[in-house]
Amino acid sequence: MRINPTAVFGAAGFFCGKFGSKCMIHPGPAKIRTRIGKGAGRMWNSIIKWLPGWGELLQSLMILAIPLGLTRMMLWIRAQEGKASTRGQRAEGKKGGGVPSSEDTAEAAQSSIAASDKKKSGAEASAGGEETGPPLRYSGCLEEDVAKFRAACADMSDVNVRRLQIGSLRIPAALFFVDGLTDKEGMDINILKPLMNAVLAFEGISALPPPEELKVIVTQRILQVSEIEYTNEVMQSLKKVLFGSAVLLVEGMSEVFVLGTSKGNTRAVEEPISEALLRGPRVGFNETLSDNTALLRRHGQHTGLVMRSFTVGERIEKEMILTYIKGIANEELIEEIVRRIHTINIDDVQESGFIEQLLEDNYLSPFQQIQSTERPDRVMAALLEGRAALLLDGTPFALIMPVTFGMLLQSPEDYYDRWFSGSLLRILRFGAATISLFAPALYISFLSFHPGLIPTKLAISIISSRQGVPFPTLVEALIMEVAIEILREAGLRLPKPIGPAMGIVGGLIIGQAAVEAGIVSPILVIVVALTAISSFSVPMYSAGITLRLLRFVAMFFAAFFGLYGIVLFFLLLSSHLINLKSFGVPYLSMITPYRMSDLRDFVIRIPLQLMKRRPTMLQPQDKIRKR
Amino acid sequence: MASKTQDRITTSQAVFILVNYVLVASVFTLPRVAAQKAGTPDIWLSIICGGLLFTIPAFLIACLCRKFPGETFFQFAPKIMGKPLALAAGTLVCLYFVCYAAFELRSVQEVTVFFLLEGTPTWAVAALFLWVALYLCRGGINALSRMCRLITPLAWTIFFGVCLLSLKVFDLDNLRPVLSEGIAPVLRGIGATPLSFTSGEALLFLVAFMDKPKQAGRVAVLGTIITIPFYVTSAVLTIGAFSVEGVVTRTWPFIDLIRSFEVAFLFERFESLLLAIWTMQIFSTFCIALYGAALGFSQMTGLKLNHCLFALLPLVYLITEAPRTINNVFAFGHFIGDWAVLMFGGLSLPLLFLAAFRRRKKA
Repeated sequence: MRINPTAVFGAAGFFCGKFGSKCMIHPGPAKIRTRIGKGAGRMWNSIIKWLPGWGELLQSLMILAIPLGLTRMMLWIRAQEGKASTRGQRAEGKKGGGVPSSEDTAEAAQSSIAASDKKKSGAEASAGGEETGPPLRYSGCLEEDVAKFRAACADMSDVNVRRLQIGSLRIPAALFFVDGLTDKEGMDINILKPLMNAVLAFEGISALPPPEELKVIVTQRILQVSEIEYTNEVMQSLKKVLFGSAVLLVEGMSEVFVLGTSKGNTRAVEEPISEALLRGPRVGFNETLSDNTALLRRHGQHTGLVMRSFTVGERIEKEMILTYIKGIANEELIEEIVRRIHTINIDDVQESGFIEQLLEDNYLSPFQQIQSTERPDRVMAALLEGRAALLLDGTPFALIMPVTFGMLLQSPEDYYDRWFSGSLLRILRFGAATISLFAPALYISFLSFHPGLIPTKLAISIISSRQGVPFPTLVEALIMEVAIEILREAGLRLPKPIGPAMGIVGGLIIGQAAVEAGIVSPILVIVVALTAISSFSVPMYSAGITLRLLRFVAMFFAAFFGLYGIVLFFLLLSSHLINLKSFGVPYLSMITPYRMSDLRDFVIRIPLQLMKRRPTMLQPQDKIRKR
Repeated sequence: MASKTQDRITTSQAVFILVNYVLVASVFTLPRVAAQKAGTPDIWLSIICGGLLFTIPAFLIACLCRKFPGETFFQFAPKIMGKPLALAAGTLVCLYFVCYAAFELRSVQEVTVFFLLEGTPTWAVAALFLWVALYLCRGGINALSRMCRLITPLAWTIFFGVCLLSLKVFDLDNLRPVLSEGIAPVLRGIGATPLSFTSGEALLFLVAFMDKPKQAGRVAVLGTIITIPFYVTSAVLTIGAFSVEGVVTRTWPFIDLIRSFEVAFLFERFESLLLAIWTMQIFSTFCIALYGAALGFSQMTGLKLNHCLFALLPLVYLITEAPRTINNVFAFGHFIGDWAVLMFGGLSLPLLFLAAFRRRKKA
């Protein structure tokens, strides 16, 4: 059985004709029958015939050209970036892996999994390091080795050498260390003293023992240091010395001892300034990596907490730790993070912000795709949800990835307080974020386009208070918004005692004077103040900046298209967020989850009793949080 | 997890998409069109009947698509009716999507320019809308489903909230007498509903993305039935407020209804809210239709989806601007409705038989 196409199309043509006769020049049913039959190309032609006027044709071309141009530009930028950087292409970089970690061997002992992982990364590192050229090696002759080392650190006068003779056999040796980086007291007591006093260890041995035996004796019977590594490369040992270790060269041994005695100046563990909480641990990360990893370990006894070490920075190497919980975090996520870490080929990573920008998916998006935090409890909570975190040496800011939109408006306090207050605060924050994004835009659109849509009395009072204002609403709002952004930025830089005074001068006096001078309307001052206060209630400072930026975009949309513009701006923003991904996890997956159960922890934080599963969008290995 | 795109949607997501696709601009106009046709206050009955009636072709199309899991209509049509015929049918479907999208865009344009932005050039209104839609559609079916999920709670809450408030001007007498002239006006009223209720065409490509294509029939029925309350509410409330005679004379009866009352409660006027969310709602419909058209063209011609999306932009715009006056727009809408009935109502059953027949022959 076949359908008779002629009949169907004839009927369609009949309707076309009925409709066409009203408004268009129309080819008529007979023609359309043949045209549709001949396919898309002819159909296109017949539509062209219906076209009304050149103006619309031009407009349609423009409608095509502008997004096409924008897309081309984006592609071009991406292509430039692809040429300039190595992300995505270098799945297995030459760099990376790095030297095995010396900082947290004590912690590694707690976790067998972590230890095995670390060894693996260490093995990768040595394989990677040797490719850089024929390394300078120690020979075993002390004087020669000392000279080699001296030559390597010729222009570093802070590298000191201490010559000594070991024990009763008087084996000549030399100890290299850096002033200020090495724990001198510890070195004197645990290294120099046992070495020089070693009599018992050499009982019954009269001649210089072979290197292997000597190594065992020195390591196991003399030195009272927990961290010992061996290397036969000069540059490798120099690197260690420059980072605070002591290097012991012994006559007759081509391997040198790298003794972990480093002691840098560190800051005590303090409450984080950027993320203060009323309830919760008053602990923040500091600048020392080992302290930070220790803070995470101290969270509780658990053997699944993996700490994988990486070295980043081509010229100035820094240690970075990738941490996640084995058995919860998705393996694919970890692989992807590791792959991206290997593509980092910048000469120096000054702060974790560098890592953040080099790892993120879309650097053209105003939204951050990696969250930075100073709070160990926040990191721990993220790890338990199946995320991963990066800790970089030298900065108190840890990076949590992947990020979803909801995280930017959540605070750890939501979970510590009872669920009523947690939910209430979240709703408040969402409201505040909405206000800080849309309030000035709504002001502009209602005043300049549709004053009829606001209550009549309010409209009259606003318009009467605006009578003397010489500017259009957009300019008026821009003046105030820019002023308050400047005030905020200035207040941030000022010394602490002046800051509040500045706020009073700027906010109160200038605002008051501006209103009295008739430059802005008092309602606008209220709107701007509300906006500024609201944007402070966003728990993440950097998310607040995003909102500040987008607020200006929203204002321009509102100035050109009124309420319609705001709606479309909202849709554009949503489309962007929907298309945005952080490490493969859709950014908006909290609001529009694949599974409804993820909504339990979004605006409303349901009671802990009911929060039985981890968020499914991260595809954790162990989905059950609580039975 | 990285870079692995889930191009699958769950059953509930499919329902959301379908509901968003079916709920269109005609919520504003359906009461007038139906009242014109029926001439009695019984149009709510016509709407219910129309809604139920149109679940049948939707269900049939779902059955048809279910036979080819993972394939869109444009991919499996050649298997049923041979290549040239399939190409023609596919083109017709795509063009239908384009016209449908254009009609929706035109409605937004008319409403916006009339109520919100007097004096703003219409092409600018359309251009902004098209660009945002393009940006969303580049994200594929998942982006669409997420957008629908995002919009739905907002839109529904505000819609029903506003409807509740409008009970202030509601007068039950305007709805009486029920069935005063018998069943005939009700049946005439059904003729006005196709534009509002046709949902089957979205299923032509939607089922291919479902992770459980077996539930396609459920999606079709649910997706259509969920929308009935919206249309019925809008019809009952507008007739209740303005009576049949009043509704017939108003271009956008539902917006006029919301404008006709003031509540001393925060906003006082609610049409801004309603227009805002309804713009979003139409945006989702528009995107689904645009995506469907682009998907169809790309699968028939082998071009990339993104290129098709770009190519469709000017076409949609030209069709949007083709009708000269508002009456032409409504005539255009009517024509699209008839087109849908013919194509999807008339084609689905024969195609289903044909598919079954072909399959048996193969076996």
